[in-house]
Amino acid sequence: MQDQRSNRAGRSLGGRSLAYVLMVVVTALWGAPILWMLVTSIKPESEIYAYPPAWIPDHPTLEAYGALFQRFPMLTWFRNSAVVGILTTVLTLAVDALAAYPLARMQFPGRRVIMGVIFATFLLPYELLFVPLFLGLNSYGLVDSIFSLTVPTSANAFGVFLLTQFFQAVPRELEDAAVMDGCSRFGFFWRILLPLTKPGLATVAIFTFVASWNNFFWPLIATNSDETRTLPVGLATLVGGAGMSMKQSVLMASAVVATLPTAIFFLALQRHFVRGIAATGIKG
Amino acid sequence: MTSLATEPAGRSRARRAFAQEGGAVRSGMTLAAYLFLSPYLALFIAFMLLPTLAAVGISFMRWDILGTPEFIGLDNYRQIFADPLFLTAIKNTFYFVFLTAIPMVVLGLALAMLLDQKLKGTAFVRTVVFLPYVVMVSTVGILWGWLFDKGTGLVNYYLTAIGIEPIAWLKDPHWSMPALAITTIWWTVNTNMIIFLAALQDIPEELHDAATLDGAGPWQRFVYITLPLLRPAMALVTALTIINGWRVFGQAYVMTQGGPEASTFVIVQYIYLTAFQNFEMGPAAAAGVVLLLITLVFSLAQMKLMKAI
Repeated sequence: MQDQRSNRAGRSLGGRSLAYVLMVVVTALWGAPILWMLVTSIKPESEIYAYPPAWIPDHPTLEAYGALFQRFPMLTWFRNSAVVGILTTVLTLAVDALAAYPLARMQFPGRRVIMGVIFATFLLPYELLFVPLFLGLNSYGLVDSIFSLTVPTSANAFGVFLLTQFFQAVPRELEDAAVMDGCSRFGFFWRILLPLTKPGLATVAIFTFVASWNNFFWPLIATNSDETRTLPVGLATLVGGAGMSMKQSVLMASAVVATLPTAIFFLALQRHFVRGIAATGIKG
Repeated sequence: MTSLATEPAGRSRARRAFAQEGGAVRSGMTLAAYLFLSPYLALFIAFMLLPTLAAVGISFMRWDILGTPEFIGLDNYRQIFADPLFLTAIKNTFYFVFLTAIPMVVLGLALAMLLDQKLKGTAFVRTVVFLPYVVMVSTVGILWGWLFDKGTGLVNYYLTAIGIEPIAWLKDPHWSMPALAITTIWWTVNTNMIIFLAALQDIPEELHDAATLDGAGPWQRFVYITLPLLRPAMALVTALTIINGWRVFGQAYVMTQGGPEASTFVIVQYIYLTAFQNFEMGPAAAAGVVLLLITLVFSLAQMKLMKAI
């Protein structure tokens, strides 16, 4: 099967050459901005605006990183983002997996309605919710807290949807056998179902963590001090206003620092990505 | 383990067993089901369902953060539709959707088809295209804000190299929105690509081989085999692209703050400005409801269209 695929792809030398030319162009267009960000972040001040632009710095230096951490509460923002990201991911995984189990494998009144309502929220522009959410949290004094950044974002329809697909694929015989051996429903869920669907859990974890790490609008509203501010909101204050005078090397250093955790997380788990999406059933 | 989770045979077997059991609902199952669902439902009701209803309610009220809420009917809607800034925001956001929707779908599919081939290096290129996905919007804005700089940006440097006059991009009301669109495509086309990739890898190779034996060329195979089988993925990608287009905010906020001359001022920025800088919750909620209605209309129209094709 795999070999036949290669036949289709590279039938003619001309076709293959064209594909490679396109791949080089795509790599350049998508890779260059990221590379430029890395290169600029290690340039000394004298080289930042050199003309023509240099892709390899003559005198690489880490002074921009030093300036960044000295002048801005980067560590605090970074820690906040990490705490929020990890808590949100754990909470979402737990809540979504628990909900997906009955939706995937049990027959009960209300199931269809609940599925329909959950999946309808796919189409909901969340920005609609921010005014009432802010007012609600504000009346309980919960604005500008880790709570407001984690719990309200954890009822994630995408995670339920994806895990439902994964859970449905586990053969019923396994569950029957487990029950026969005296396994409770939760025991089956915890000891058999979850270990069997690790790729699905990994996919939800990646999407949730990256979404949380990069979430911008809600933290912009729900935080108002550096104590709780997350990286995206903190970094946005570097540009505009006071940040205009910032050296590009410092800005690019901030970009590198902000991207590093998600890039590592993604590169480590990326093989689950396509597999996870392939299992959602949107493939038709 | 992996094959178990994705293997179609396993799934259909599970479905069959599931259907058989349908008639004989065991006692206690309903209780168990709702116990498992309860944490999700609690969060869902508190932070999704109630806020949605509240947003609609607030849109009919006068509600400043301090005063007592008061029912005022459609006044908030009258107010925002009489506000030139809101109309500008709708127009701008529509322009953004127009600029991004087709390239995001077409390019997403093209990239997926290019990188679905069994050639050396596709895995690497896929990773490169996917990398912007993990970059946060503030960083995207900071990075592209500089790339689009008139004097020192790389974009103009390379455009000049091929003989094109430098463009002021983010400082020019005619070019600011196209610049945001380019940035957004670079940043998010990978999500569409990955959905198409998953769908492409599911098309049985035999179909293409049989068609080739029958004398179908590459273009015919694309039109008569690939495209029809991609329809569900196409519907999903189109819907997500359009909805996300209407929700655009971060890029505009970081790169242009809505300017120059309000040329990149979008609906969500209107909500932000009205609610959290002017503290007028009623009109802000009304603008949110309008955003919901717009995305609903677009989703429904798109579903009708996909069915018709």
